[in-house]
Amino acid sequence: MTTDETQLRQELERTWAVPRGIIGWFSIVDHRTIGRRYLVTAFVFFGIAGLLAAAMRVQLAWPDSRFMGPDRYNQVFTVHGTAMMFLFAVPVMEGMGVYLVPLMIGTRNIAFPRLNTFSYFVYLFGGITLFAALATNTGPDVGWFSYVPLAGPDYSPGKRADFWAQLITFTEVAALAVAVELVATIFKTRAPGMSLNRIPLFVWSMLVMSFMIIFAMPAVVTSSSFLLLDRLVGTHFYNPAEGGDTLLWQHLFWFFGHPEVYIIFVPALGMVSAIITAFTSRPIFGYTAMVLALVATGFIGFGLWVHHMFATGLPQLGLTYFTAASMIISIPSGVQIFCWIASLWRGRPRFETPLLFALGFIAIFVLGGLSGVTLASVPFDLQVHDTYYVVAHFHYVLLGGAVFPLIGGIYFWFPKITGRMMDDRIGRWSFWTLFIGFNVTFFPMHFLGLMGMPRRVYTYPATMGWGMLNLISSIGAIALVAGGVLLVYNVVRSAAWGVEAGDNPWGADSLEWGTSSPPPVYNFLHIPVVEGRHALWARSEDAPIVTGIRSDTREVLITDVMDAEPSNKADYPNPTIWPFVTAVVTSAFFVGSIFTPWALPVSLPPLTVALVGWFWPKRSDLHTGEERPPALSEARA
Amino acid sequence: MSRCGLRIVPCALCLVLAACGREARPFDNIPSATANATTPALVQLYAGGVPTGPPPVSPFQQNAWGISEGKRLFDAYNCSGCHAHGGGGIGPALMDDAWIYGNHPANIFETIVEGRPNGMPSFRGKIPDTQVWQLVAFVQSMNGQAPIAALPGRSDHLSGGTPENLRPAVKPVQTGHQ
Repeated sequence: MTTDETQLRQELERTWAVPRGIIGWFSIVDHRTIGRRYLVTAFVFFGIAGLLAAAMRVQLAWPDSRFMGPDRYNQVFTVHGTAMMFLFAVPVMEGMGVYLVPLMIGTRNIAFPRLNTFSYFVYLFGGITLFAALATNTGPDVGWFSYVPLAGPDYSPGKRADFWAQLITFTEVAALAVAVELVATIFKTRAPGMSLNRIPLFVWSMLVMSFMIIFAMPAVVTSSSFLLLDRLVGTHFYNPAEGGDTLLWQHLFWFFGHPEVYIIFVPALGMVSAIITAFTSRPIFGYTAMVLALVATGFIGFGLWVHHMFATGLPQLGLTYFTAASMIISIPSGVQIFCWIASLWRGRPRFETPLLFALGFIAIFVLGGLSGVTLASVPFDLQVHDTYYVVAHFHYVLLGGAVFPLIGGIYFWFPKITGRMMDDRIGRWSFWTLFIGFNVTFFPMHFLGLMGMPRRVYTYPATMGWGMLNLISSIGAIALVAGGVLLVYNVVRSAAWGVEAGDNPWGADSLEWGTSSPPPVYNFLHIPVVEGRHALWARSEDAPIVTGIRSDTREVLITDVMDAEPSNKADYPNPTIWPFVTAVVTSAFFVGSIFTPWALPVSLPPLTVALVGWFWPKRSDLHTGEERPPALSEARA
Repeated sequence: MSRCGLRIVPCALCLVLAACGREARPFDNIPSATANATTPALVQLYAGGVPTGPPPVSPFQQNAWGISEGKRLFDAYNCSGCHAHGGGGIGPALMDDAWIYGNHPANIFETIVEGRPNGMPSFRGKIPDTQVWQLVAFVQSMNGQAPIAALPGRSDHLSGGTPENLRPAVKPVQTGHQ
């Protein structure tokens, strides 16, 4: 390394340094730290929600069980679903995106770094609020989608449903913030040369996910706000007697709820593409088709929501249309599966743990997709609606379609995040335990549903004949817990004592593998100029780099949307406590508004103070005196 | 995350103390429908009288579910036939501050079980004790004599006036017969 580079590195380390100390911990605006926090927090919530599921399986293992009473069981299954969908599935994908996307596209930080920090703390406080409610017997008990009138003031006394509705607000504010950041990052801060047709498939999946969040989340925030207003202030949004409509809830919720599952699923598709690319050492077959499939999934996903409402007495034309749309969405997913199979067929895959999870995803998700297509047919759905057949379907698509790729992604990117490899032997054990345990747990549920076992029942009589399958399912759950424990053990052990990983232990193709493991605080010493779709594989000997960006302030290169031509430079903020303060005030406002409408006027002054602190211009933001460097040039590295 | 957790503990304590009573759903503790005992009432209450010993308190005093059940039973047992939804009609208003026979829960229990002069029937043997206590809790909630977080909101019917959780709490006054 030349003296110039040493000096550059020292300067960048100073400029992009992560603050220390307690105040510093709350002030960090660095995407890698926030991304790690998202991942750790999401997995903690995953663990708690998983324990709730284990409790459910204990309760259901034999007939007429009194392990849990009905009220406790209602809270457990509701919080299990709510925490998994809102506190784990979406945030963990966002966390992977927040960490990886700036590295994959060759920039130093995510766009809107302070908003990123704010979003994490809002998410964290939302999760704490929900579990505090569960611990104080105030856990929501109306199902994860909280239908009215059950969740309305007449049939849900107390504050349980209000905690649910505000959890929505917490998590949707955080998700919207991250979505906006990701879109801005992906569109405007890519390294030069990384035109849109050269971005990795994982980045495409994050882009599609972010747009879906932006269009879908407002619907659920609207619906939960209407519910809160109905309960707290006496509005009649969902009261048919006064001109409201109970079906309004279902439409608003499912207009979000169906895209939500694709929001969870699409990033997992990106992860699978990244893993298969790395472990076959070949480009994915059919990049254009894969991108179009992702975008098509995103679009069609907005046209399906009424398939959750087939049993509500809709007009025939609506049923027909939504059946057709629900079947059509399997086509882009099918295209992707075939492209991956083609990639594996042509390459010589190295069957290491991440690839095992990607293959497990293909197997399980295809089964889940098949049961989904059967559910798309209205006559069949009317028979199995609200039975365990549906439970089996969505666990196959969610666990198979999102969690397996996610775990594969953890094994894949763990070396990059921590600098150490995870143990491959324990990895295989965890894969097989999870795979077998998953199928033993959830496959019998298809039959239970066909035999008529309804969802959400806290127990069932022995005469129904459901005992044996439920027992098998609960035994499978033991294996699932064991697999989860193995995974956690592997993570903890490897973080402390794992084999040190180099920059690119898998020989992968995307830019994040072109910097050290873990990456330095400034991500890349030199912002690269990308020469091909697979940035590292296409990089030539004397690959160009970007110069002319200041290293004494947090300056970042902004490029064009389509072709990533350099266009201007932007200043990113230094660490600051104000996003955390704003998150605290916002969370206090949300929690207060569960109990009283006075929370709004009371919160506005401190919120104003917090936002003024956030946006107050700093002396260092002003460039006085010295000239800015001339237009940047492409020097050779 | 642990640092954030520490800050939440004081708030959680407040929640715990309030929430346990408000949110309980004692489904399993309710005895099946039993008629009221025909033995004399446990308290010697009459209009203007002095209670001897501590009078019984409704177990649903601050319980949101109990108040909600009381609201359901209020229509189911046709209390609204004479009292409307608190505004009164044939019977006196229940949502104002005037309590002819006192507003202590035991007074209201007596009113329902024993009946009162001038038209209030006795429901002894017709409404189980547990449901009477739920009705007591609901009647008290009609003018805000319950924690606001436990009060019911607007009902899923034609609007019958301000929902209970939006009514101002009134100071009850024992008036005796006018």
